Amino acid sequence: MARRKKSLFRGWLTSVCVAAGACATALIPPAEVFGVKLHRTNVLSDISHFESDERDNVVEYEADIELLEQQIAMIENMQTSVAEQIDSTVVEPVRISYEWRTGDYSPQESARRPSSEELRPAADAAMVAIEDFDTLPQSRFDRFVERLVEGRPVRIAFMGDSFVEGDILTVDLRHELQTLFGGRGVGFVACDIPFATSRKSIKRRSAGWSSYSIMKPKAAPESLRDKFFVSGYMAEGGAGASTRWEITESYPTLAGAETARLLLLSREDSRVELTLNDTLSRSFDIEGDEALRQIVVESAPYRSIALKVLDGRVICYGVAIGSDDGIRVDNFSVRSNNGHAIFGTNPLINRQADVLLGGYDLVVLQYGLNIMQAGQRNYSKYRDQLRDMISYAERCFPDAAILVMGVSDRCVKNDESGAYEPIGSADALSAYQRAAADSCRVAFWNTYEAMRSMGGIKGFVNNKWAAGDYTHINYGGGRAVARALMLPIRDMAARKMEARERAEAAERRRLQRLEAERRQREEQMQMRLGAIADMADTLAGVTFQREE
Amino acid sequence: MELPVFADDIVGRIEALLLFDESSPMTLASGFFMLAFILFLTGYAVVRRAVTLRILYVAAFSLYFYYKLSGIYLLLLLFVALNDFFIAGRVAHDRRCCRSGRRWVVWSVTVNVAILAYFKATGFFVDLLEGLYGEGVIDMGKVIAPAGVSFFVFQSISYVVDIYRDRIRPLGRFADYLFLLSFFPKMFLGPLVRNADFISQMHSRDIAPSREDVGRAARLIAGGLVKYAVLAKCIGVLLVRPAFAGQLGDGGFVALMAVYGFTMQIYCDFSGYSDLAVGVALMMGFRLPQNFDAPYHSATITEFWRRWHISLSTWLKDYLYISLGGNRRGRLRTYWNLIVTMFLGGLWHGVGLTFIAWGLLHGVALALHKVWLAVIPGAAAVGWKMPWWRRVPGVIITFHLVAFGWLLFNASDMTEVAAMLGNMVGNFDTAQIVPFVESHWVAFVMMGVGYAMHALPTSFDRRVESAVIRGGFVVQVVLIVAAIWCTMQCSAMLEAADVAGAGLPIYANF
Repeated sequence: MARRKKSLFRGWLTSVCVAAGACATALIPPAEVFGVKLHRTNVLSDISHFESDERDNVVEYEADIELLEQQIAMIENMQTSVAEQIDSTVVEPVRISYEWRTGDYSPQESARRPSSEELRPAADAAMVAIEDFDTLPQSRFDRFVERLVEGRPVRIAFMGDSFVEGDILTVDLRHELQTLFGGRGVGFVACDIPFATSRKSIKRRSAGWSSYSIMKPKAAPESLRDKFFVSGYMAEGGAGASTRWEITESYPTLAGAETARLLLLSREDSRVELTLNDTLSRSFDIEGDEALRQIVVESAPYRSIALKVLDGRVICYGVAIGSDDGIRVDNFSVRSNNGHAIFGTNPLINRQADVLLGGYDLVVLQYGLNIMQAGQRNYSKYRDQLRDMISYAERCFPDAAILVMGVSDRCVKNDESGAYEPIGSADALSAYQRAAADSCRVAFWNTYEAMRSMGGIKGFVNNKWAAGDYTHINYGGGRAVARALMLPIRDMAARKMEARERAEAAERRRLQRLEAERRQREEQMQMRLGAIADMADTLAGVTFQREE
Repeated sequence: MELPVFADDIVGRIEALLLFDESSPMTLASGFFMLAFILFLTGYAVVRRAVTLRILYVAAFSLYFYYKLSGIYLLLLLFVALNDFFIAGRVAHDRRCCRSGRRWVVWSVTVNVAILAYFKATGFFVDLLEGLYGEGVIDMGKVIAPAGVSFFVFQSISYVVDIYRDRIRPLGRFADYLFLLSFFPKMFLGPLVRNADFISQMHSRDIAPSREDVGRAARLIAGGLVKYAVLAKCIGVLLVRPAFAGQLGDGGFVALMAVYGFTMQIYCDFSGYSDLAVGVALMMGFRLPQNFDAPYHSATITEFWRRWHISLSTWLKDYLYISLGGNRRGRLRTYWNLIVTMFLGGLWHGVGLTFIAWGLLHGVALALHKVWLAVIPGAAAVGWKMPWWRRVPGVIITFHLVAFGWLLFNASDMTEVAAMLGNMVGNFDTAQIVPFVESHWVAFVMMGVGYAMHALPTSFDRRVESAVIRGGFVVQVVLIVAAIWCTMQCSAMLEAADVAGAGLPIYANF
C-alpha cells in the first residue's frame, strides 16, 4: 500500500519546487511571440529588480534645450519656406483648417469689462501675491493682465499633475475668470484617455479608440510615440471610433459655447463626421498629411458635440470648447507627471497647437507633488530641471507669460503613530521652485503659503476639501485654491483697471474741457458776429440816413 | 543571462512586506502567500502528529494571514470567535440542564447579524439620510466591510445552531474554535464547511495528503489560478468594468457582451478562488467541500443552485430555509420560504434595489419551478433526468435567466440596468460587432477560453485530473509554475495598459 501512504513531504517538495520555478521564470527575458508581448515575471519584485527593466520601463525624459533650439529653428524655416511656397504658388500647401459654420451661428458678444471696484478683492482677504520676476517695464505677465483688462480674448494653458485632474481647481478658475471678463465653455478636453477618469465640467463617452498616455509611451506604437503634445494624451482610431462630449450644467458659464476647435492628425486620407447636439452633422474629407489639423466649428450655443471616424485612421487629441472672445482655460493635467513629460512632447505639434488654439497668453506650470519626499529638503536637481521646463514652454508658447505654481501642502502617514503629519518639505520645494522662476524671470505663486493661510491640508481635510490621503484636494478644495489664486490676479487687474479708469476719466475731463472751450469760443464768436452785425446794421442805418 | 539585483534596503522592504498593507491585501494568489506557505508547511510537517500543537500552529498562522488580509479587523474575527465560543458553551450547558438554550442562540444570531448589518447597511442608510436632510447631516466615515466577514460570521452562526440542534458537541478549547473559524484556506471566501466533518478532520491524529491528493491539489491550484487571476481578471478589467461604466459606448452588442462577460467573470473569479482554497487545504491534508459544479450546465434554476456556490446554498438551506419551516408547512409556505430565503440572500450581498431584485428574481424563479414540478407531469428537477429535447432548451433558458440576474447583480443602480437593457433592445447595430471584437480581442479570447472550458463535459475534467495525478511530480510542478507565469504575464499586461485590475475577488466585498 505504498501508494496510499500519506506524507507531507511530497506536498512540501512540490511547493518548494513551484516557488523555485516561479522565481526562475524571471530568467525568461522579455520577448515578443506572435505579436503578443511577453513581460518579465519577477516573483520577488517587491525586493529585487532587473536593471534592464528599469531602463526599459521608466520613462526619463531629459531636457535637451539645444536640440529644441534646432527643432524650433527648423520649424521657423519650414514656416518661411511654406510662406514662400504660397507666394510662388508652385506647391499647393496642405489645408490646415477645416471650417464649419452652421446656419444659426450669430456671434454673441460675451467679453465684458468689469469695473475696478468689482475687481478689487475685499480689503481683509489674505492674499498671497504673484511674484513676477520679470522686472522689465512691460513684462509678459503684465501683458497678460493688460489683455484681461482690455477685454481681449485670453487663452490659458494650465499644465499640471493629478492635483488638477478632472478639472479640479481649473473649473473654478475658469468660472471666476469668465464671470469677470466673459467667455464661455470648458476649454480643451481630450478625446480618449487610457484609464477611467471623470470630469465635473464635461461628460465624455468614447469608444473604439486606442489611447495612449505620454507617461507610458512604450504602450504606444513606435510611429506615434513622438506625436504627443502638451495635453499628454492621444487617441488613435479607425472607422467606427467615436467620442461624444457633453457640457454639464455644473456652472452657468460652461453653457453657451459656440466654437469648437478639434485637433487631429491624419496621415492618410480620412473622413470624419462631427455632430452637434446629436442632430446636426457634417462630414469632412481630410487629406493625408503629417501636419496638425483642426476643424473649427462655429454654431449657435451647443450642448454636445460628437466626433466619429468614418474612414481612414485618425489621431485625435481633443477639442477646445469655448467662444471666440473672453477667457478660455485649458486643463492639461497628466497624472504622476513631474513636468518632465514636456520634454517628450513634439515641439512642432506644440507650436502648431499654440497657433491653432488661438495663441496662449498664459501657461501655468503646476507640478512637484510626486517629487516631494518626507524630510527631503534639497531639490536643487529638480530646480534645474524646472528651469529647463520653463524654457521649453517659453519656446513652444512664445507669446505666453509663464506662471510657476509652487507645490501644495501635503501630509504623510507616520508609520508609528498612524497619524498624518506635515511632510516637512513643501516649503523647501516651494523655495526651489521660486528660485527656478526667479532665474528664468517668470512669475511664481506660492500655493503652499496660500493653502496654509486657509488652514493647511489638515484644514482642507477637516473642511472636506481634500481626500483622506492628505494630498489630493477635491472640487471644494479646488474652488478655495482657485479663489486664492484669483485674488492677486484680480488685484493686479483692479490696479490696471483703476489706472485705466483714471486715464479715461482724465481723458473725459480733457474732452469736456475742450468741449467747454470750444463752446465758449463759439459763443464768443457768436457774440462777436452779433456785434459785427449790429455794427453793420448801425452803419447801414447811418448810410441810409445819410442818403435820406 | 541577467540576474536580478536586490534592493539596497532589502531588510526594510521585507519588514514592510510582513506588515499589513492596505493597498495590497494578501490573497491565496499572491506571491507573498506562496513563499509564506512553504515556511508554514515546513513547520507543519514538524508538528503534524502532535494534535494540540498542530492546532495552535495552524491557528497562529491563520490569524497572521487574516491580519495580512484585513489588518486591524483581526480583532473583529477574535471577537466573533470569543463571543460564539462562549455562547456555544452556554447553549450546551442549558441543554444539559434540560433547557432549550434558545435565548443564547438568539443572542449569537443578533450579534452576528448586527455585525453584518453594520458593514452592509450603514452606507445605504447614510445615503438615505443625506438624501433626505442634505449632505453632511451624518458622518460615519466610510464603512468598508472587512474581507471575508460574511464567511466567518456564517460559519460561526452555524456552529452555535449545530450545537443547539445537537448535531455536534461544543469544542473544549478556544484554540480549537479559533482553528475552525479562521482556518486560512477557507477563511476569506469559503467554502463554508460542515462543522461536524471539519472538526473530525481537525482532531484526526494523522492528517496529511496522499500522492493522489497532491496531484489533485496541483490541478486545483493551477486551474484555480488561471480562472481567478487570468480569465476573470482580464474579462473584468478589459470588458465588463468599462462597459458597465459606459466607457465603451452604448451599443447593444457591447451591453450584451458585458453581461455574458460578467456571467463568465463571476464564475471564474469565485470558483477559481474556491479551487485555490480547496487545493491549498488539500496540500495540508484537509478536504474542503466542493463549491462549484459546472453551474452553467444546469437545466433548471433549482439545479443551478445545487451547482453554484454549493456551500452557501447548503448553508442557506440548513440554517435559514429550514429555520423558516422549510417544506414541512404546506406548499404555499414552501414557496414563500424560498422567496424569503433568496430575498435575504440578495439583501446580504448589499442593501440596495439591485441586490433585492436579484434575490427576488431567483426566489420567484425557484418557487415557480417548484410549481412547475408539481403541475407538469414528467418534469424533472435536474438536467440528467431529462430527455435531451427538454434539457437543451432548459440549459439555454436557465443560463439566460442567471445571466440576467448577474446584470442586476453587477449594475450599480437600476438606471444602469435600464440603460443596458435599453441598449440591447433598441441600439443593436450589427456593424459594431467586428470593430468592437477587433479592438477588445484579448477579452474575447479570455471569454472564449472560459466558456469553452466550461462547456467541456465533467468527465473530461476527471480525465485531466487523473492524468495530472498519473503524470507525477514533474508534471504537477510544471503545471503550477506555468499557471503562475500566466498570472504574472496577465497582470504585467494589464499594468502596461494602465488598467491595473482590482486586487481582490468579487466576493471579497460581500
